[in-house]
Amino acid sequence: MSAATHTEVHANLTDEQVRQISDELDEPEWLLETRLDALEALESLDMPDVIRTPGRDWTNLHELDYESLVDPLNAAENKDQVGPEEAEVLAWSEAVNEHEELLKEHFGSVVDPQENYLTALSTALFSTGTVIYVPEGVDAEGVTVRTEQNSRSLFNYTLVVTEESSSVTILERQSTGEEQDEQYYSGIVEIVAGENSNVQYGSLQNLSEEAYNFTLKRGDADTYATIDWIEANLGTQLTKSGVETELNGDGSESQIVGAFYGHNDQHFDIDARVWHRAEHTTADLVTRGVTDDVARSVYEGVQDVGRSAWDTSSYQRENTLMLSDESEADASPKLIINNHDTEASHSATVGQIDQEDLLYMTSRGVQPRDARNMLVEGFFVPVLEEIAVDELRDDLEELIAARLRKRD
Amino acid sequence: MSSEQDHLKETDTEARFEFKKEQNAAVKSDKGLTEEVIRMISEDKDEPDWMLERRLRALKQYHNMPMPTDWPGQPDLTELDVEEIVPYIRPDVDKREGVDDWTELPDEIKDTFDKLGIPEAEKNALSGVGAQYESEIVYQNMQDQWEEKGVIFMNMDRAVQEHPELVKEHFMTTCVPASDNKFAALHGAVWSGGSFVYVPEGVTVEMPVQAYFRMNSEGMGQFEHTLIIAEEGSEVHYIEGCSAPKYGVHNLHSGGVEVFVEEDAHVQYSTVQNWSKNTFNLNTKRAIVEENGTMEWISGSMGSKATMLYPCSILKGRGATDTHITIAFAGEGQDIDTGAKVYHNAPETKSTIESKSISKDGGRTNYRGLVHIADGAENSSTAVECDALMFDNESTSDTMPYMEIEESKVDVAHEATVGKIGDEDIFYLQSRGLDDDDAKKMIVAGFIEPITEELPIEYAVELNRLIELEMEGSLG
Repeated sequence: MSAATHTEVHANLTDEQVRQISDELDEPEWLLETRLDALEALESLDMPDVIRTPGRDWTNLHELDYESLVDPLNAAENKDQVGPEEAEVLAWSEAVNEHEELLKEHFGSVVDPQENYLTALSTALFSTGTVIYVPEGVDAEGVTVRTEQNSRSLFNYTLVVTEESSSVTILERQSTGEEQDEQYYSGIVEIVAGENSNVQYGSLQNLSEEAYNFTLKRGDADTYATIDWIEANLGTQLTKSGVETELNGDGSESQIVGAFYGHNDQHFDIDARVWHRAEHTTADLVTRGVTDDVARSVYEGVQDVGRSAWDTSSYQRENTLMLSDESEADASPKLIINNHDTEASHSATVGQIDQEDLLYMTSRGVQPRDARNMLVEGFFVPVLEEIAVDELRDDLEELIAARLRKRD
Repeated sequence: MSSEQDHLKETDTEARFEFKKEQNAAVKSDKGLTEEVIRMISEDKDEPDWMLERRLRALKQYHNMPMPTDWPGQPDLTELDVEEIVPYIRPDVDKREGVDDWTELPDEIKDTFDKLGIPEAEKNALSGVGAQYESEIVYQNMQDQWEEKGVIFMNMDRAVQEHPELVKEHFMTTCVPASDNKFAALHGAVWSGGSFVYVPEGVTVEMPVQAYFRMNSEGMGQFEHTLIIAEEGSEVHYIEGCSAPKYGVHNLHSGGVEVFVEEDAHVQYSTVQNWSKNTFNLNTKRAIVEENGTMEWISGSMGSKATMLYPCSILKGRGATDTHITIAFAGEGQDIDTGAKVYHNAPETKSTIESKSISKDGGRTNYRGLVHIADGAENSSTAVECDALMFDNESTSDTMPYMEIEESKVDVAHEATVGKIGDEDIFYLQSRGLDDDDAKKMIVAGFIEPITEELPIEYAVELNRLIELEMEGSLG
């Protein structure tokens, strides 16, 4: 992207603000420096890449007025950070006190703070966060992180570190508290999955439909480690979300399960990416989404197989159901294959509700509206089935059903 | 099968493509792109003012447009220096519009096409042939039976003189305007040669017409323009073949193809491209398809150093249909970036894209495709299928489809697979007595069969033979 389209947001951001945020969290000097470097880098960084085809950008991040959305010293939230005793689930300020070495080693190691304009903005300004540390051999079920945003802007950071042969199941939720006109929520998630560990990270984003959202979740999987993601998006007027795994250890695996339901004028830009960088790695990407009214979905799925990734298996499916003529569904599932010892495939479909199915159901006495709703719910079933976290699955099902009930 | 093998023995494909000729030029432009060069080309062709004006306008557009550099994973064009390319070479032929008898050609040129087997193909299987050497068509003939029905098949330069109204209306106006991309603009400025095909209403040209393009000189650019107008209910199959010997410096091929498929008409456009491995092949090919018309693109991309080519169909009329069948083969040092573009702009339109690619010895293939279904193009459907076969670990195979769907009453499906050549398949064939090389050749032949079966037999044999040669190169 050219410099001409750069959004001048840093004009109203100062070193002092960043120092104040860092100071209130009692952060060590190196962390403050990382933040200040990120702030300074804003001047030269570009927005995250978006897909461009002749004549259009699929997602327009430049229209956002960050200056009016971002209020760095006014961050308010309700937060719930709980987990079982065997694992450590710490608020950011606690983690800064108790685990400085851990942070020093891993903070910014998976997502480069200066990867793009929005990651740098997030790094400079985040005021809340969670560190989840799972020691060797520990199985930690039921870690939950709930964030209810009560301010105009909120920057959140999550770090997950699992030691050898441990496992953890994390459920993250974002919602809006007191209704705000427009909000900006930005979240960075880094997962460092140690050898033979197993991470399941489910996320349910249900922010207000006036909100804007930028999130980047990325995991680094060591030998035989597994990172499974669930990425459900229902809220916001504009979401740019990336869910990514680097399979850096031999035999590592990742699954990315995505679900979205856009209505009104919502715009979801959802990326699922996996890099095969070691031998015998496996990835499975499954996303299903619905667009209704004038909503628009943009999906990019990348399966990137590196030169040394021998014996790779990589699969991707993306299906979009369009409920209205005015909605738009864009997709680009990409295969980048540099090692021939690979089995890789992707498929994508876009269509509407099957008219024969609808006819069949109505001929059996189901009201057309109920029949349609049942078919939409049925469309999500293959994705819901992949969600091993009961609570997330039930909640997502209920949110989908509620949205369908609201439909005319 | 046996007749195919006989055919293979008779034609030494490798020799046919590798030989070079001494330069044979009557007029040769300076290097680079200046207004003087453009005026010189236009004057040498004795063109009407309006064409010169279009050229000069395109030249301005060319200079104002940036090189494409920001496409994800695109071929490297840094070695291409357009200012070093000689855009125009008129070979020394007596008649400006080319001759209609092979024996009238200078021996060196006649030899070239003899070796390529073009006169032979004309006798056996074609309705007409055009042969371009450097920048000009040197041979052009059409069987009388088609001429009597009003079919026109002539060299594009001559069409400018003889059919100015048709050309003025269709030439780089609505289909491929010069403003479309940097290389379309370049093409619009320096274009020379190519074919003009006009098929009147209701006429079916049963045998294919063919044009063959040969670049012989070092460091030249070839910019032929092909314009096909198929009137209502007509049918024609156009085949283009391309080749060039290899030189140390880079050649540039930047053709322009515009196809107008009127109501109920049917056009098939087949290409077998085997440019030498120092050629940059950057083309713009596009068809506009009216109601119930059918456009079929069939391409085999074998040669070139780098190819960027995405034949495009604009399905403008209700019920229009598009078929793309493409095969790409990238060997050592080659980057074949090709695919298909389809715009569904009307209801009940249908497209099918089938793409096969093979990469080996460090070659890269990429399928880059765009399917756009506009709001209102209801009951349209598209199915895209890409399969890539990889031989070794130095090679790369990418798939980058883009789907923009603005209409809900559609059926969109995309599928892609990548895999190595199956060890089990090879083992099976070896157990039946084939050696490793032959087993691989057989697997590749089977892999590309869906493409070759769409081509006239001469071309199918040619394509198979070319791929065999490519494979022998490294399997040794």
